Amino acid sequence: MVGGAGDLLIRPGQVPLLARPYYADGDPGPIVAALAQVPELLETAMPFLGAALGPSGIDWRTKEIVIVRTSALAGCRYCVQAHSVVALDAGLSHEEVRALRTDIAVADAFAEPRELALLEWVDVVAGTGPVPDDARAAVRRLWADHEVVELTTLVGATLLLNRFATALALPTGPDTAARLATEGLP
Amino acid sequence: MTATTVDGPIGAAVAEGTLPGRVWMYANYHCNIACTYCLTESGPRAEARVLGAQAMLDVARQAAELGFTDLGVTGGEIFLRPEMPELLAEMSTYLPVIALTNATLFARRLLDRIEVLAGLPVALQISLDRPDPDTNDAMRAPDNFAKVVAAIPELVTRGIAVRIATTVSSIDDVELDRLCALHRGLGVPDTDHVIRPIVARGRAVDHGLGVSAAVSDLPAELTITADGAFWSPFGPTVHGGLLDTDLLITRTTAPLAVPAQALLRLVEGQPRGADSTLGIR
Repeated sequence: MVGGAGDLLIRPGQVPLLARPYYADGDPGPIVAALAQVPELLETAMPFLGAALGPSGIDWRTKEIVIVRTSALAGCRYCVQAHSVVALDAGLSHEEVRALRTDIAVADAFAEPRELALLEWVDVVAGTGPVPDDARAAVRRLWADHEVVELTTLVGATLLLNRFATALALPTGPDTAARLATEGLP
Repeated sequence: MTATTVDGPIGAAVAEGTLPGRVWMYANYHCNIACTYCLTESGPRAEARVLGAQAMLDVARQAAELGFTDLGVTGGEIFLRPEMPELLAEMSTYLPVIALTNATLFARRLLDRIEVLAGLPVALQISLDRPDPDTNDAMRAPDNFAKVVAAIPELVTRGIAVRIATTVSSIDDVELDRLCALHRGLGVPDTDHVIRPIVARGRAVDHGLGVSAAVSDLPAELTITADGAFWSPFGPTVHGGLLDTDLLITRTTAPLAVPAQALLRLVEGQPRGADSTLGIR
């Protein structure tokens, strides 16, 4: 009987046929290695996840703000660690990343009104319970409708990954762990 | 799915030879014997991994609707499942069936029950590797040879179509001639005798047996198991108690169109003529 993620991840040499393109450049990471257990799910999920979390009409910094904040609120160790590194690469400061991770107050790191409105929206969407009309109105005052839809989808996609990674205890990669240590982030 | 779709992309691919026409099913993985070269580590204590009777009938029906031309049933020893004679008979109402068996369970009661297959498009493919008991049984099980040569005439007499499958790393001409004389004497002509190599998967790996087979060496015969759909009946092998996934296509097996279409995509991504360099069929 096993409890960790190790046995859930597809081993080298056991990669199913439909999953092989995702391994073409080497280790695809634990999310792909787990989804490869169900190849038809992998090849459906990855284009969606790529569209939701990857490059799009919304800039990289903004997307990482949403991803790190959502992951922190969901308590996802794997996603917080992985995307703290990505957020730094996207140009966020240490203080901003720490604020997104709830280590310090958002107001102590962010001042730009659009970003503050977005963070308020993320906190509502990633939480539980109803979403108040005034919260929706507040974000729509500063963000275009299509941006609200995309960013809300991003919160949802991130929550999916948060629960997936947490439930399956996906391991943080050694490169990410080393970078976090270098940056002084847990 | 009830409407026939023989004219759809799967049927067209089968008709033009892009996809093999046979759909295989692993009925179960447990077996009364434990052959040295078994792909699936089958044996009395193996996990059964049973593909349910209704699921097998659904595969048979949908295979016919999609335009496949034949069915194959393998295991494990399929006749450890008591319902197998009647199940094979019902499956054959959709498509012709070839069913693989070690033929060691054909005592009187099963022989009586298997008469339901007489005259139906169902052939039993029976393993017989060598013309002598000692060399045959060394790789299979004690008394295997004796049980097989006793069962075959009983089946032939009852009007059951029988094929012989010889699975060997190599066999010299003299031994092969004696084996062919044996099966002819048992009522099985040369046209119903196939010789195939041991493939280095499953228990064969632990005994240093067999040839390595890449995906391009194996015909893309859609193979349905309780664990998913695979590329070829040589795909859903077991080693170290773990199911191999390197030839897994999809976990989804119903509707059958899902793995069939995924298989077709994979096949069409391959260079033509790239299959079967080892002659594994």
